[in-house]
Amino acid sequence: MALLPVALPCLSSLLLLLLLVASPASSSNSEGEALHAWRTRLTDPTNVLQSWDPTLVNPCTWFHVTCDSQNRVIRIDLGNSNISGPLASELSRLEHLQYLELYRNNFEGKIPAELGNLKSLISMDLYENRLQGEIPKSFAKLKSLRFLRLDNNRLSGAIPRELVLLSNLKVLDVSNNDLCGTIPIDGPFANFPLQSFDNNSRLNGPELQGLASYDFGC
Amino acid sequence: MGFMTKHFLLLALSLSTWSFVAMIACGGTPTSTAARLLAIKSDLIDPGGAMASWSPGLPDTCSWNGVTCSDDRNHVVAFNLSGYGLSGSVSSKFAGLAFLETLDLSSNSLAGPIPPEIGMLKRLRELLLFSNSLSGFIPPEIGLLTDLKVLRLGDNMLSGTIPPHLGNCTGLEVLGLAQCQLNGSTPAQIGHLNRLKTLNLQQNRLTGRTPGELGGCSALQVLSMADNMLQGEIPSSIGRLAFLQVLNLANNQFSGSIPTALGGLSSLSYLNLLGNALNGTIPPQLNRLTLLRILDLSKNNLSDAISISTRQLKNLRYLVLSNNLLQGSISGDLCDESSSLQNLYLAGNHLSGTIQELMDCISLRSLDLSNNSLSGGIPSDIDRLTNLVDLVLHNNSLVGGLPPRLGNLSHLQMLSLFHNGLTGSIPAEIGKLQRLQLLFLYENQMTGIIPHELTNCSSLEELDFFGNSFSGPIPETIGKLKNLVVLQLRQNDLSGPIPPSLGDCNKLQALALADNRLSGTLPPTFRFLTELNLITLYNNSLEGPIPDSLFSSLKHLAIINLSHNRFTGSISPLLGSNALVKLDLTNNAFSGVIPPTLGESTNLARLRLGHNLLQGGIPSELSRLRWLDFLDMSSNNLTGEIPSDLSNCTRLTHLLLGKNRVTGTIRSWLGNLHSLGELDLSWNELSGQIPAEIGNCSGLLKLSLQDNHLSGMIPPELGRLTSLNVLNLQRNNLTGTIPSAVLIHCKKLYELRLSENSLTGSIPSEIGQLIELQVMLDLSRNHLSGDIPSSLGNLIKLERLNLSFNHLDGRIPASLEQLTSLHRLNLSNNPLYGRIPAGLSSFPVSSFTATKLCGAPLTACITRSSSSDMSRLSNAAVAGIIVAIVSISAVVCVVLLCIIIRLWSKWREVSVSNSDGEECKEKQERRGGGGGDRFENYWKVGSTCMVTSSEKQSSTSETSILQQKMEVGGLDDSGS
Repeated sequence: MALLPVALPCLSSLLLLLLLVASPASSSNSEGEALHAWRTRLTDPTNVLQSWDPTLVNPCTWFHVTCDSQNRVIRIDLGNSNISGPLASELSRLEHLQYLELYRNNFEGKIPAELGNLKSLISMDLYENRLQGEIPKSFAKLKSLRFLRLDNNRLSGAIPRELVLLSNLKVLDVSNNDLCGTIPIDGPFANFPLQSFDNNSRLNGPELQGLASYDFGC
Repeated sequence: MGFMTKHFLLLALSLSTWSFVAMIACGGTPTSTAARLLAIKSDLIDPGGAMASWSPGLPDTCSWNGVTCSDDRNHVVAFNLSGYGLSGSVSSKFAGLAFLETLDLSSNSLAGPIPPEIGMLKRLRELLLFSNSLSGFIPPEIGLLTDLKVLRLGDNMLSGTIPPHLGNCTGLEVLGLAQCQLNGSTPAQIGHLNRLKTLNLQQNRLTGRTPGELGGCSALQVLSMADNMLQGEIPSSIGRLAFLQVLNLANNQFSGSIPTALGGLSSLSYLNLLGNALNGTIPPQLNRLTLLRILDLSKNNLSDAISISTRQLKNLRYLVLSNNLLQGSISGDLCDESSSLQNLYLAGNHLSGTIQELMDCISLRSLDLSNNSLSGGIPSDIDRLTNLVDLVLHNNSLVGGLPPRLGNLSHLQMLSLFHNGLTGSIPAEIGKLQRLQLLFLYENQMTGIIPHELTNCSSLEELDFFGNSFSGPIPETIGKLKNLVVLQLRQNDLSGPIPPSLGDCNKLQALALADNRLSGTLPPTFRFLTELNLITLYNNSLEGPIPDSLFSSLKHLAIINLSHNRFTGSISPLLGSNALVKLDLTNNAFSGVIPPTLGESTNLARLRLGHNLLQGGIPSELSRLRWLDFLDMSSNNLTGEIPSDLSNCTRLTHLLLGKNRVTGTIRSWLGNLHSLGELDLSWNELSGQIPAEIGNCSGLLKLSLQDNHLSGMIPPELGRLTSLNVLNLQRNNLTGTIPSAVLIHCKKLYELRLSENSLTGSIPSEIGQLIELQVMLDLSRNHLSGDIPSSLGNLIKLERLNLSFNHLDGRIPASLEQLTSLHRLNLSNNPLYGRIPAGLSSFPVSSFTATKLCGAPLTACITRSSSSDMSRLSNAAVAGIIVAIVSISAVVCVVLLCIIIRLWSKWREVSVSNSDGEECKEKQERRGGGGGDRFENYWKVGSTCMVTSSEKQSSTSETSILQQKMEVGGLDDSGS
């Protein structure tokens, strides 16, 4: 009933909290932490992520996660898993990730620009989700990228010109989105079939250098 | 009074049981008083005998325990049975004690409601019912008690609203309704209570806005409404309460800014607004509260710079502004040398600047600046803060080293500096910190050796240096830290042995020395660490056998991770403890058998013994481990059969027995392991058939049975593994056809390897349904015959395809050109014939060797009929053909150009005017009617169709932007 003692437990609990937070749960498991941080924001109705136990030394025995011989995450396979929620910028901490397979789910929101830091990425399959916003310009940094499938989402904006720098890009599919402007023609874009760009009602054909700006109609 | 009591006692003795007479002897109406009191008693349960003296045989009610009478002994004026452990209820019969001035039944276990009849006690001045289990509403009839001075009903289960009628009790000085379940809003009528000194409504469920009328309680000294759900702004009328000493509004939903009027509370010594949604700046007017000792504004959304200054708040002891949005640097005004500030908590803001500004704050005992953006170093004269007990600076951007004068902070108990950019080594002076209990330096960039002086800090309980670059040995004298509970030195560059003295740290619960370069053996003194719960030594160079007795006394050890070292000998000293939950010995040189005592660790959930030299059989005692979910014994020399008792371990998610010499057959019981996600039995000597029951493991993601002697058919029941990602059956003796069921239902397969078996028949066209195949499709080295199904062209994500060394004949289907992701292709050693589709021409010759194929990259195709004609053609004929080709090409080009010019100009018009495109869609659909062939070359441009029919294209190339560009570019030239 006394009033003053209310404040003191508050203060001491602050210290207690500090002790708990700072307890030796510190770890080098930054990849596991990144994935777990992402998981906490996802809805997983079929418990596909049940095995993602953050207390393990690394995430290499989690299902749908594959590591190399040095216990670094190289694959995430969560295609067709009924997962909804955002993509997390923390994924960019998986610096050895080669395959990001998140197709056919209900991922929503923007594609974090930080994913452009995945310098080992070979394949990014985000097709058939509910992703919005623009294709990040930072994807131009994905120098190892060979496969980029973003089709069947709700992506908008122009195709970033910077992507012409992706010299290893073999497959691009951005069909069935809401992209606008014109299609780049340089670099790997010289080889992509037109179907890769289908069904973007405001996408206006290959760019005519000098005639129209690339974001014509955006 | 004394005489009267004696007189009464005499009477009571002489007339023992005749109470009626006795009461008459006392005069007045004692009959009814005793009867009423006994009626009240009958509503109470009195396990402690507090009312033992209440008996008709002792008729002087004024002598009954808890009863006080008026001077003339005619009336009961006070009733006090506080803290007697009474249960039962508050009797409505109290109403009969009309002269009652004090009723105190506090701190009992009374239940039920407060009887409304209480309202009849017109003379009541104090009503104390707090700390019971009373329920129901506060009776509005209490509002009739106009003489009431003290009303305390808190710490009950009272619900409902606060009756506005309480505003009639204008004599009230103390109103305590805390810790109940009261809801609704605070009645404005409370503001009529102008004699009220204490109003305590904390810990209820009050909602709504707080009435400005509270400013009318002009005598108020203590106001607490903490821990409710109050909303809206803090009424500025509170600032009129000139006598207010305590204002506690913590943990509500107050919003808006802190009223500047609070600066008028000149008597205030305690102000707590923590845990609200207050925003804006901290009003500088608060600096006028010169008597303030405690100020807590934490967990709000307060922004801008800190305006608080101890130059004016000379009595301030506690200042808590943590977890706001405060920014700017800490100014020297915050705390000058004349201040009394002892506790300063600014954690979890956006503060920048350095700590140097606080070096005059010499009375500080506890300083928490964690989770900010502070820069600079820890001041070298940090010892000016001689009274410091807690120094908490983690999660900032501090640089530089630990100043040696840190060692002069002789009261220091907690030093938390983790997650900064600190460099340099630990000064030897740290050893002077005799009271230091907690030292967190983890996640910095500190170097050098750990000074042995550190082990003089004999109060140390938690030591965490994880993630630095400390080198050299662990101090030999570490055992002097006898109070150590947590020792975390993981991920440094420490070398040398684990000091034997560590065994003296017998309170140690967690020992984490992993990820270093430690060598040598485990010291025998480990057996004294009887409290140890966790030991992680992975990724070192530790070696030697583990002595038998080492772990037998460590009864609490739950987690052992010795993986990636060079330990040898038997694993049996590590087994058998019932506390063990996780055991990881991966990648050592442990040898001998896996002992049956393993079965005694019945709580074991995770057992990893892979990559050792273990031999003998897999013990059937594993079946006792009902919690086991992860079992890895791969890469050993294990022999014998897989014990069928393992079928009891139904929680198993991982069963990894690959790379051993396990024999026998794969039994049907495996189908009982319904939780299984990964089953790896590869690289063993298993024989017999693959049991159909594996199809029951419906959650299986990876099935690896390669490199065994398995025979028989691939069971179609594998098609029930609808989650399967990886199926590897290569290098066995499997026969029969590839079951279509697998190809139809295992739609999530991204890797499928069936190579090096004796599979026959053709490749089922259903293979085209595995549209997620990506890593590899390997069917090589079987006896597969027939055509390559054109449906393979659907596998557009496939990166590697190997069909070599089969009996596949026929032509390569043109659809394989659609495999745009393919970068390894091997079709060699098959009797394939015909032209290699041009889209595959970029693969190397080795992709097609030992076939009858022609065309790039192999030699050009020469059809038998034309080759004989061609060889006989004269030069003239050749010239004629060339002329014909050139002229036809020229005509085609001109026509093309015209079409394109028209289309282009139309496109520009239409795309600008943005008119309809329905006609083109129709055209497109009609053209696309041929099965959605990707190579049907049409393309929708804006609202017009640009048609590039395949006849006009060279027969080989796929439509590409580059070609479009060139054509359009040509048009551009000619048009200008």
